[in-house]
Amino acid sequence: MKNNKNAPKSLGALFNKSDTIIAILLTFIIGFLWFETTKFEKVPDLFSNNIPPEMFPQILLIIILGMVLIIPFEHIFLKKNGKDIDSSRKNSVEFSTIGTMFILSAIIASSQVLGAALTIIAVSVSLPIYWGERRLKVLISYVIGFPLFVIVLFNIILGVHFEPGLLELIKN
Amino acid sequence: MEDIIKGIGLLLEFQNILLILSGVLIGVLVGALPGLSSPMAIALLIPFTISLDPVAAIAMMAALYCAGTFGGSITAILINAPGAPPAVATALDGYPMAKNGEPGRALGLAAVSSVFGGIFSLIIFIFAAPLLAKLALEFGPAEYFGLAVFALSMLASMSGKSSLRNLISGLVGVLIGTIGIHLTTGVERFTFDIPDLEEGIHFVPVLIGLFAVSELFKQSEKLNAVVERIQAKALRLPTLFELKKLKYTILRSSGIGTFIGILPAEGSTVAAIIGYNEARRWSKDKDSFGKGSPEGIVGPEAANNAAAGGAMVPTLALGIPGSGSTALILAALIMHGFRPGPYLISETPEFVYAIFGAMLIANLGFLFIGLVGAKFFSLVAFIPKKLLWPAVFIFSMIGSYSFASSMFDVWVMLAAGLVGYFMDRHGFSAAPLVMGLILGKLVEESFSQSMIIHDNNFFALLESPVVLLFFVLTFLSLSSPFWTRYFSKK
Repeated sequence: MKNNKNAPKSLGALFNKSDTIIAILLTFIIGFLWFETTKFEKVPDLFSNNIPPEMFPQILLIIILGMVLIIPFEHIFLKKNGKDIDSSRKNSVEFSTIGTMFILSAIIASSQVLGAALTIIAVSVSLPIYWGERRLKVLISYVIGFPLFVIVLFNIILGVHFEPGLLELIKN
Repeated sequence: MEDIIKGIGLLLEFQNILLILSGVLIGVLVGALPGLSSPMAIALLIPFTISLDPVAAIAMMAALYCAGTFGGSITAILINAPGAPPAVATALDGYPMAKNGEPGRALGLAAVSSVFGGIFSLIIFIFAAPLLAKLALEFGPAEYFGLAVFALSMLASMSGKSSLRNLISGLVGVLIGTIGIHLTTGVERFTFDIPDLEEGIHFVPVLIGLFAVSELFKQSEKLNAVVERIQAKALRLPTLFELKKLKYTILRSSGIGTFIGILPAEGSTVAAIIGYNEARRWSKDKDSFGKGSPEGIVGPEAANNAAAGGAMVPTLALGIPGSGSTALILAALIMHGFRPGPYLISETPEFVYAIFGAMLIANLGFLFIGLVGAKFFSLVAFIPKKLLWPAVFIFSMIGSYSFASSMFDVWVMLAAGLVGYFMDRHGFSAAPLVMGLILGKLVEESFSQSMIIHDNNFFALLESPVVLLFFVLTFLSLSSPFWTRYFSKK
């Protein structure tokens, strides 16, 4: 019997672990969205022209589900074409990336209190420092110069409305 | 002819010329910065151009698109780091030529072949777009549905690791497009009682999040990467003798690029890679490839810039984006109140000719900018990432907020950025999602209208030969991985 080099050695090798998790997660999301479509307001056929509002999303969800179910096995076909689906996720997400996500979420969450100008300054200060920028002169000129440039360009020249936030409280 | 003159007239206002040149400058700049790309720059530009005259706004974006494709080749040649994906193939021979002591020559070859490719595709654009639009005027909802399905199927072959994941991304984009109030029945769909979702998800924050914020997260992983730069004092234009030797390669690649650009969803990156491979296949000196071959530079460069012009044909004539960047231009057109597609050309031809003119100016503009600013642009890549990316995030926040003065949009941008980052890690591309999001409305509207016309009988759609043709093309497109492998084995 001919030994196929590409044939998976065990049943477990048929599945790609990360992709299986993704497929399960996506299936749950699809299930949830399908459930949501069943809660759409019912419309008489006369008004909907026999195309109820849930019909199109449901067709999409079925097609997506069909494709999602192939994902755990896709690595076998990709390997045959010399592609490694795991190359970009070999390393776990860097701590610096998680920190960046957290900092940016926190800044956006507090932006309504801070107001636009202070939010811009907060981004200009926090990210470079968090990423390891320690040249004081560079930092100071960046933190002063860049927000000033942005405020002059967008608020004064282009007329974008910037929420005053905390600055108004201080002014009052 | 009258429309062409009108179009040129629209462009010749001082403000418009200034905006086009600014678009060229921004395009070359973002193209030269690894990590920043023209789709990202267009996404960031959209909210700030809403208050501009539509001609000026779209012309500026079109100019940025053309120039961004060229800008990527500067860093590909000088630091072996393509500033944009379409310049990947340029680095293969551009960097070795620069290393061999001829950086100016490599930049010159890239610039001239880019200009030639760009102008070639614009000539095709000016003839093909009206013809295609005339043909599309005969289309009914069923034909449009067939075309949209075909365009979605073409997402599979977009650059990326996996065709399947590209398709899933595209369909998720279409699904996101269904959020909000259903136009036919007025029923809320997927709004989860959040008032901000009733109008649906705005394009702009999603585009900015997927292209700019997700890239920021990626860049935060490699903040300390060190690059080696080759000094380039100036760009040196190729001699006439050199151009004569390369004319067939440039011409062939321009044709390939234009054709690939016209295909829905196929972009400059695919064109550049095919342009490079074909240049190598037809070359009499195959061994010089990878060591600084001039053909290895002009092949991909002519192709990727020609694809930029080619991609505008289906975008303007059919309302089907030819690439990620043109999907954004399409979104901008919609926001300015235009209906992209055959009616755009039949009702406002002067507008289309103005865009054509802007792209022509952009092609000549980046040659000029390249000539005088090659040294400066090669330095741009050395702006510290630790200062550059916070600035990109600030622009992203302002762009997302200013579009509708809504903090909800800023959250959408952040969410799209997070989703985009994890999508990329797991092999799902962002560009198909964007194209799906933009095509979504067309797909659902044409599907609903076709079903109403054909009394809910899906198979009745196949009575139209055009629909049948699009479905056959869809089948061929989806099955292409199988039959291309079969033929390549033979």
